[in-house]
Amino acid sequence: MTLAIRARNLVKEYDDVRALDGLDISVEAGEFFGLLGPNGAGKTTFINILVGLAHRTDGEAAVFGHDVGDEYQQARDAIGLAPQEYNVDRFFPIQEVLEHKAGYHGIASGEATRRAEEALKTVGIYEKRDTRFDWLSGGMKRRFMLARALVSDPDLLILDEPTAGVDVQLRRDLWGVINRMNDTGTTILLTTHYIEEAERLCDRVAIVDEGRKVEEASPDELMDRGTDRISVSTRSTPATAPDLDLPDIHDARVDDGELVVTAARGSSVVPDLLRQLEAAGYTVTEVDIERASLEEVFVDVTRTESAVEA
Amino acid sequence: MSGDDSSVASDGGVTAGESTAGLGRLFPTGFRTLFHREVLRFLRRPRNTFLPPAITNVLYFSVFGVILGGRIDSFALGGREIEYIAFILPGLIVLGAISNAFENSSFSIFHGRWNEYIHEVLTSPLPYSSMVLAYILSSALRGLIVGVIIGLIGLLFTSVPVSRPLYLGAFMLVICLLFASFGVVGGLWARDFDYLTVLNQFILRPLVFFGGVFYSLDALDGLAYTVSLLNPMVYMVNGVRFGFFGAAELPPNESLVVLSVLTLAVVALNVELFRRGYGLVD
Repeated sequence: MTLAIRARNLVKEYDDVRALDGLDISVEAGEFFGLLGPNGAGKTTFINILVGLAHRTDGEAAVFGHDVGDEYQQARDAIGLAPQEYNVDRFFPIQEVLEHKAGYHGIASGEATRRAEEALKTVGIYEKRDTRFDWLSGGMKRRFMLARALVSDPDLLILDEPTAGVDVQLRRDLWGVINRMNDTGTTILLTTHYIEEAERLCDRVAIVDEGRKVEEASPDELMDRGTDRISVSTRSTPATAPDLDLPDIHDARVDDGELVVTAARGSSVVPDLLRQLEAAGYTVTEVDIERASLEEVFVDVTRTESAVEA
Repeated sequence: MSGDDSSVASDGGVTAGESTAGLGRLFPTGFRTLFHREVLRFLRRPRNTFLPPAITNVLYFSVFGVILGGRIDSFALGGREIEYIAFILPGLIVLGAISNAFENSSFSIFHGRWNEYIHEVLTSPLPYSSMVLAYILSSALRGLIVGVIIGLIGLLFTSVPVSRPLYLGAFMLVICLLFASFGVVGGLWARDFDYLTVLNQFILRPLVFFGGVFYSLDALDGLAYTVSLLNPMVYMVNGVRFGFFGAAELPPNESLVVLSVLTLAVVALNVELFRRGYGLVD
C-alpha cells in the first residue's frame, strides 16, 4: 500500500524547545487519519514540515514517496492545506485568491477559474465570490479555507482544526464535504480538538503528546481500551456492591439504587456479570452500557504520559 | 493533484497538461500566476503606486527645475550645453524607478509575511527561483512604469533627446531589477514596518541624493569626488544620463557590466534565502 505520509524519527527543535521528538507517523493513501493531542503537542509543527512552512531538524518526512525537502515541488503539489490560522491574501476577491492558488499548482487560467467556481460552490459560498476575505463572516471564512485547500484537487487534504469555532450545522456541512472527498479517494489528515469529530470521521487516529506519538489505533480500538460504564437495575436494590470475580472489572458500587460497574470492554463483560449477579440471587431488570468515549481515552493517555514524564 | 498528468517540472511547476513548449516552458503557469498577481496588486491601486511619484516629480521639476534651475548655469556634457532641468531629469527617473521597484518587492514580501498570506505561495509547488523571479520582475516592471511616468512629466517642463535608447533601456532595466532584488532582501529581513522605512529613508534616499542626481560630479573635488565613486547610484544615474544625452562623466559600459553582475549576484542571494526559508519559515 502506498503511504500518503511517512514520517520517521522526525525531530524539530526551536532553540531549546523540542517541538517534535522522534515522531513516527504513517498514513496510507485513501485513509482518513486523525491527529489528536493537547495544545503544543507538535501537531501543527508536523503539518508545517510537510507543507514547507518549517524545516525539520532531523528525521525523514515524505508525501506520496517524495521527500518534503529534496522533492518539495512534488510533495507540495499533492497537498491541499486548510490551516488553523487565516492566512489569506486580503487584496483580492476570494475567487481570484482561489484562481491564484490553482495557478501556483500549474493549472492554466480557464481551468483555474472553473475549479475556483466549483470549490466555492462545494463549500456553499459561491455568491460571495467577488467579496474580499475580510468581509466574510466567521463561518464563511472557515468554508473558504476549505475551498482553498480543495481548489488544486489534492491527493492529500490536510485540515488543521477545520471546524474550530463554527456552529454545529456548519460543522456538519464541512464534515459532509470532507467525507465526500475521502470517499473519492483523497487522503485526509485531520487535527481537531473536537474528539467527537475524530470519532465520527477517522479511520485511524494517532495521539501525539510532547512531540511523540503515544498511541495509534482506530477510534473503536482506542475506545475499547477505555473504561465502559455498566448500569444494572435489579428487582431488589442491593445495599452494597456484591463481590464480583471478573478480571476486566475495575470498580463496582451502588449508586442511586443501581449497581454501577466500570470495566474494560463492557459489552464482553456483561454476560459473565449477569451470570454472577443471578448466581448471587439478584434478578436483573435492566442493563445499560455507556461506552468509554474517545475523549476519555485521550485524556487518560495524555495524562498518563505527563505523569510518566513527571 | 493539480494536473492531469500530476507532473511537476523541475524548471517551474508545469502541470495540468500545460504545454511544455515555448513560452509555457520558459515561464510556467505557476510563475505567470504569481507575476500576474503581483502586477495586479500595483495596477489596481494607482493612487498608492503611480500618483505619489507623479505628484512628487511635478514638484521636483517645478521647484528644482523651473524656479531654482533658472538661476543655475547650464552643464557641459560631452561638448553639449544642457540646461539644469534637463540635467536632473535622468536622476529623477532613476530615483523614482528604484524607489518604487524596491518598495514594491519589499512591501509585498513583508506584508505577505506579516499577514502570513505568503504561505499561499510557499506551500505551493513553485520552485524557489520562480517565486523570486516573479517578485523581482513584477517589482522591476513597476519601477520601469514609474520611470516612464516621470519621463513624460519631465517632457512637460523640458525636452530631452534619447541619444542612446539601447543604453537607456539596458540601464533602466538593470537598475530596476537590482533594486527589486534588494527589496526582496529587505522584505525578508524586516521584522516590522519600521525596518522598511529605515531602508528607504536612511539608506536608499541619501545614496540617491548623493549619487549625482542634482549636481555634476565635476562640481566635486578631492575626497568628495573619490567618495562619490564608491556610491553605486552614481553609476546608475550616470548610465541613464548617457542614454539620454549620449555623453557621461563615467564610462557607461563598465558601469553596466558591474551593475549587471551585481544584479545577478543579488538575485542568486534571493533564491538562496528563499531556499533556506530566511524570514519565511520556522
